[in-house]
Amino acid sequence: MLMPLDMLQAGEWAEVAEVTGQPAWVGRLAELGIRQGCRLQVVQPGSPCLLNVSGCKLCLRGGECSQILVRPVGE
Amino acid sequence: MLTATLTVALVGNPNTGKSTLFNALSGLRQKVGNYPGVTVEMKKGQFSADGVSVELIDLPGTYSLAARSPDEMVAVDLLLGRRPEESRPAVIVSIVDATNLDRHLYLTSQLLDLGVPVVVAVNMIDAAREQGITIDFEKLSQSLGVPAVPIQANKGIGLGELTKAIRESAEQGAVPNGPQFPEAFVLVAEQLQKELSDELPPVLVRRALTDVGGYTEQWLVDHHGEEFRAKLTSARAKLASAGHAVPGVEARARFAWVREAVAASVTKPAVRPVTWTDRIDSVLTHRLWGTLIFLLVMFLMFQSIFLWAKPLMDLIGSGQDAIAKLVEGTMASGPLRALIVDGVINGVGSVLVFLPQILILFGFIAILEDCGYMARAAFLMDRVMSRCGLSGKSFIPMLSSVACAIPGIMATRVIENRRDRLATILVAPLMSCSARLPVYVLLIGAFIAKPGSPSYLPGLVLFAMYMIGFTVAPLVALTLKRTLLRGAPPVFVMELPAYRRPKIGAVLRRMFDAGKAFTIRAGTIILAAMIVVWALLYFPYKDGEGNSYPERIEQAEDAAKEKADRLKELKEKDEASKKQPEAGEPIPPQLSDEEKAELEKLEETAGQADKLNGEWKRNSILGRAGLTMEPVFRPLGWDWKIGVAALASFPAREVIVGTFGILYDVGDVDPGAVGDDAAEAEDKEKAAGLTKAVQEEWAKDPVRGKYGVPVALSVMVFFALCCQCAATLAVIWRETKSIAWPAFTFVYMTALAYVGAMLTFQVGRLVMG
Repeated sequence: MLMPLDMLQAGEWAEVAEVTGQPAWVGRLAELGIRQGCRLQVVQPGSPCLLNVSGCKLCLRGGECSQILVRPVGE
Repeated sequence: MLTATLTVALVGNPNTGKSTLFNALSGLRQKVGNYPGVTVEMKKGQFSADGVSVELIDLPGTYSLAARSPDEMVAVDLLLGRRPEESRPAVIVSIVDATNLDRHLYLTSQLLDLGVPVVVAVNMIDAAREQGITIDFEKLSQSLGVPAVPIQANKGIGLGELTKAIRESAEQGAVPNGPQFPEAFVLVAEQLQKELSDELPPVLVRRALTDVGGYTEQWLVDHHGEEFRAKLTSARAKLASAGHAVPGVEARARFAWVREAVAASVTKPAVRPVTWTDRIDSVLTHRLWGTLIFLLVMFLMFQSIFLWAKPLMDLIGSGQDAIAKLVEGTMASGPLRALIVDGVINGVGSVLVFLPQILILFGFIAILEDCGYMARAAFLMDRVMSRCGLSGKSFIPMLSSVACAIPGIMATRVIENRRDRLATILVAPLMSCSARLPVYVLLIGAFIAKPGSPSYLPGLVLFAMYMIGFTVAPLVALTLKRTLLRGAPPVFVMELPAYRRPKIGAVLRRMFDAGKAFTIRAGTIILAAMIVVWALLYFPYKDGEGNSYPERIEQAEDAAKEKADRLKELKEKDEASKKQPEAGEPIPPQLSDEEKAELEKLEETAGQADKLNGEWKRNSILGRAGLTMEPVFRPLGWDWKIGVAALASFPAREVIVGTFGILYDVGDVDPGAVGDDAAEAEDKEKAAGLTKAVQEEWAKDPVRGKYGVPVALSVMVFFALCCQCAATLAVIWRETKSIAWPAFTFVYMTALAYVGAMLTFQVGRLVMG
């Protein structure tokens, strides 16, 4: 099941399926480690939200989170 | 053996300890390199590696070489040897974080494509060890194809090995190979390269191909015309049909390479342990507790700025007075002495007086940034700031501007997005700074806090003046972001780095750099502006009969001094005579008629110097300009005196109090003494005298007599909105590297102030009927 990242609850893990939007923005996220196939955890939902991406904490705004499609996975 | 100086570039993601490594290697031998046309500054340091002298360039922290702005392009051009100011680096040091090699090696892989030897410095090995991460450096070097050296920059561990690797790589000059891209991509890039006639480095052609809408693309289109964009589009379409669409192709190729290198050399525990940073963050980024703690931190910060800066500022003020007295005592009076005392010494003083606030604020900012808290603050404040089109990073610069816009504007350097940074710089001077306070206190004291008016009124008006800044600044920011600074909404992604202990040396250095930058570069402009206004108020200094005003004032002062004792004696007697005797006490002796006449005459003599000073300033160039400009001030409810005082305050708004003092014949008033209970008795008396003089003078006038309150409010609103601060404009010039932005700030704020003051007066007049 695919869903936008901002639908996840605090503490939930997911695998990134697709990052949509402007190429520059997709590229920027890839540099920071958010790309197809990577795993992340929502530390704090909302806007801006807090994500844990391979041991790194990143913060993103809600509108931008909805452009990232994820597949929820169990820990 | 190499004999010439080696140029070495230091590149890495933000928060990798890059600056720490730079400071550890170059020590105190640092300078700042400026690059025309861009706002970036790069630090350069010198050190010696086994007898070879090395020039180390610290590039701004970046996640990738995909340049999105001219500022980011400087770094790429510098690495490729395309900047005329710097020779091409002989070695690139790529600093990476040992706890997150997966991500940091992405940038390293881009550096490997530049055709320059690369040394990888793997920093924070202690933190990696704590998290159970082990790295086999021999294998890592092998898979990367370049030396990888473990270091711990904050403790200076591994620096010897690092410099050795740098020197050896420079001697060998072996050019590394980056990750392999798919064949289709290589072919398309080569084809595109052939179509460009000039000798562009192949790496830039590739960047143009992958960075859609990036700066390389823009630069190439500017140089090769629109047909290049068509070629680029068709090349990208070709890639997409071959299954290698940009920008995904780059991320896939590089991350596959990184994963391979890391898999061969790094072992990690299956479950990442919960770190101290995670535990602290669960409180500090909490919506409620985190926000409360943040507000407390901000309060403590500003409280200390006020508390610690005040005595230092007073010290600078008294030092300035002492030097001025010394010069006055040794030099003969005349235009030259006036220039030195009122122009130069006064000007230097007004530059230095900002230093305590700048140093203290930058000390705090350096500590908050170095320990990693700044990113949490920006995270917490982003929700509020995004409403006015800015990001959380603009919060601290805006709040700092309540103390003083100058350190606030300098603090915008933490904002990477250029448009956000500009918008923050342009609205920061609208925040009500501490120099506006004396103006407010003077006018509120004279017109609002009248006997009989409600006791909460003065506080309310003062609060309203501060609220003007707090509401107008976000509105202007929003307008700017929708018009002049419009562009794609900035991508707000921010990393929250792990908490670290700040290093005292680094903090002191940041304070020193900020202070030096302000004093030298902004200070000269402020000084020049102060001298110009001094001259406009000084010349012509002769009255209609050709007598010099300064000399006449001195004579009048001497005359007053001679009679000072007698005046005091008579005054005391006069005061005693007016006292109601208590029961049983004798009636105090009354002043005789002769004594009364003498007292009147003596008081006139005492006020003669101030009167002459007022007459002189009214006849000065600026005074006459104010007189001719009276029609301009009329819609604001002002007379020419208020106009001249406002004009004279353009270099520094606190000057208005002193100028008012001169124009209303009470002599020069120290703005610090207005509303300050701790001020010296003499200064306080003068400040009180000014309040009275302004009240009396306005009462005589039909407009200001009837509408005193709206006029006072109109002056206050004007001062709240106007950019009357040469120092602020000089700092904006310095920070934006363009005269256009300070000019724009000045024009928009002056227009806003004029309209605001006019509305205030006209509405006030209507309400009063």
